[in-house]
Amino acid sequence: MQMEGKFTLKAPIQKLWDTLLDPETLLSCIPGAEKIERIDEKTFDCVVKQKVGPISVKFKFKSILSKVEPPTHIEVDGEGEDIGKAGHFVQKSVVDLRQIPGGEVEVSYRTDATIVGKLAMFGDRIMRAKAKKVEEEFTKALQERLKNVV
Amino acid sequence: MKDFEYFAPKTVEEALSLLSQYKGEAKIVAGGQSMLVLMRQGLIAPEYVVDIKGISALDYMTYDERLGLKIGALTTHRAIEKSPIIQKHFGVLSEMETNLATIQTRNWGTIGGNLCHGDPAGDPVPVLMTLDAKLKLKSLSGERMVAMEGFSKDILEVDLEPDEMLIEIQVPVPRSHTGVAHEKLMVMQGDAGIVGAAASITLKSGNGICEDARIVLSNAASIPLRAKEAERCLIGKAINEDLLTEAGEVASKEADPPSDVHASAEYRREMVKVFVKRAAKRALEMARLR
Amino acid sequence: MKGEPKELRLTVNGKVYELKVKPKALLNDVLRKDLKLTGAKRGCLESTCGVCTVILDGKAVRSCSVLALQANGHEVTTIEGLAQGDKLHPVQRAFIDHGAIECGFCIPGRVMMAKALLDENPNPSREEVKLAMQGVLCADSGYVKQIEAVEIAAEKMRGGE
Repeated sequence: MQMEGKFTLKAPIQKLWDTLLDPETLLSCIPGAEKIERIDEKTFDCVVKQKVGPISVKFKFKSILSKVEPPTHIEVDGEGEDIGKAGHFVQKSVVDLRQIPGGEVEVSYRTDATIVGKLAMFGDRIMRAKAKKVEEEFTKALQERLKNVV
Repeated sequence: MKDFEYFAPKTVEEALSLLSQYKGEAKIVAGGQSMLVLMRQGLIAPEYVVDIKGISALDYMTYDERLGLKIGALTTHRAIEKSPIIQKHFGVLSEMETNLATIQTRNWGTIGGNLCHGDPAGDPVPVLMTLDAKLKLKSLSGERMVAMEGFSKDILEVDLEPDEMLIEIQVPVPRSHTGVAHEKLMVMQGDAGIVGAAASITLKSGNGICEDARIVLSNAASIPLRAKEAERCLIGKAINEDLLTEAGEVASKEADPPSDVHASAEYRREMVKVFVKRAAKRALEMARLR
Repeated sequence: MKGEPKELRLTVNGKVYELKVKPKALLNDVLRKDLKLTGAKRGCLESTCGVCTVILDGKAVRSCSVLALQANGHEVTTIEGLAQGDKLHPVQRAFIDHGAIECGFCIPGRVMMAKALLDENPNPSREEVKLAMQGVLCADSGYVKQIEAVEIAAEKMRGGE
């Protein structure tokens, strides 16, 4: 499953970079995030809960920052599974930050995810629709957060 | 499947009490043709299951020339498919049921269960939306009526509180000179469908101008999608082949279809054009006959 | 209490059974494991293949998608209940004589679909037979022999030859 998107935030690029990599921020901005813990310089231990109608999933996964070029480029490799055994995934994301006029930063991301298990069978159409929603909520929350910090 | 505590109420009141008591943690199972599949796959694991299949008071179909059709929530798909009353007065419902899953599923699965499951690929909701159906919901605190159109909120999410139950589906008598048709792109008869379209056309008596049109798509968005722009192409006009084609194209722009193993979003969009046109054309032909 | 076994009383092939089952037990589980009637198969486990089909109150249903407790007080017919001693049901006879059986896995479910069809509609059209056969997937055959066998059985049951 491939997903890509772009969103614009009003903030200085360095501030945005720092915020994006801060576990506290991620914990409060990622919808359904229950735990985002930095294990070492490159590794995060995460637990994220999501719901689609009556179906709840709780993903436990490890994210590794495989490539970091502050303040413009991050590559993240993730691997994890649903605690209820509904699926297992491997994911690679690339995030780029670009300063644009008006004191804004354009964040573009691309994710390649391979999901196996019941979640995959049941429908990537559902996950895709959910992923879009999650992106919207995340950017909104991040923007709010940045407003208070700048 | 995980273990759960099980109740089999025999009356609506009993069921509502249970839902009120276990608010949010209880899940209703009717025919189970959608719920049990999810439960077997471990995607849902409710603590409490309220099995309402035995509430015979909700298994009925009545028809009145003025008040229209009233269908109890536990009426099976098969009963609707085979009902002489429905075949005579609301043929599109019987036709839609013929293409819904398989005979076995229709024998045990209920219309209420289908509506409350909230799958945007489902067939009954679009057809009921074109028929202007209303739903009666009940809880211990009382009853409320909801338009079929407003019931679907998101994928697998409907306007039903945790302590509420769907009791009845009401379908009004269609206006004269109204035709309703349903078309679905299937690889195998009864499958979920790549896309589907339900259309209702009402003509003004005398001059054959389209007085009203409703077009609803299945599997073209996260809920059954009413293609209002496409409807506007037809309303107030004398419908011809070109207008039908235009309606299809406009509907396809309104759609935001999913992409999955069965079809890409692009293909679904293309097929919306074709199936909206087919459904609207048949509805028009039927409207001319009434 | 979660998972507490409940009383289940059902008639299967004319015989009354009384047992206690966990609420999560499916009709298919009870037939196969508790009653040792293994004719109803387990295939996809997600209600798409139909090899688990049995007849419940005269209607064909997928036993993998019916909670056993929903059959409480009801009548079930399985493949084991079709023959009368050594005398096979016309549908069974027709399937054998017409060579409609390949690996055999889908046959019990298929024969039950055919029986349910013919009990309700003794003179089905070819389309109606096809629809009934569609409810059970077959990985071996092209369905042709099976459809023909159902038609042969239908004629026999109507008194023809």
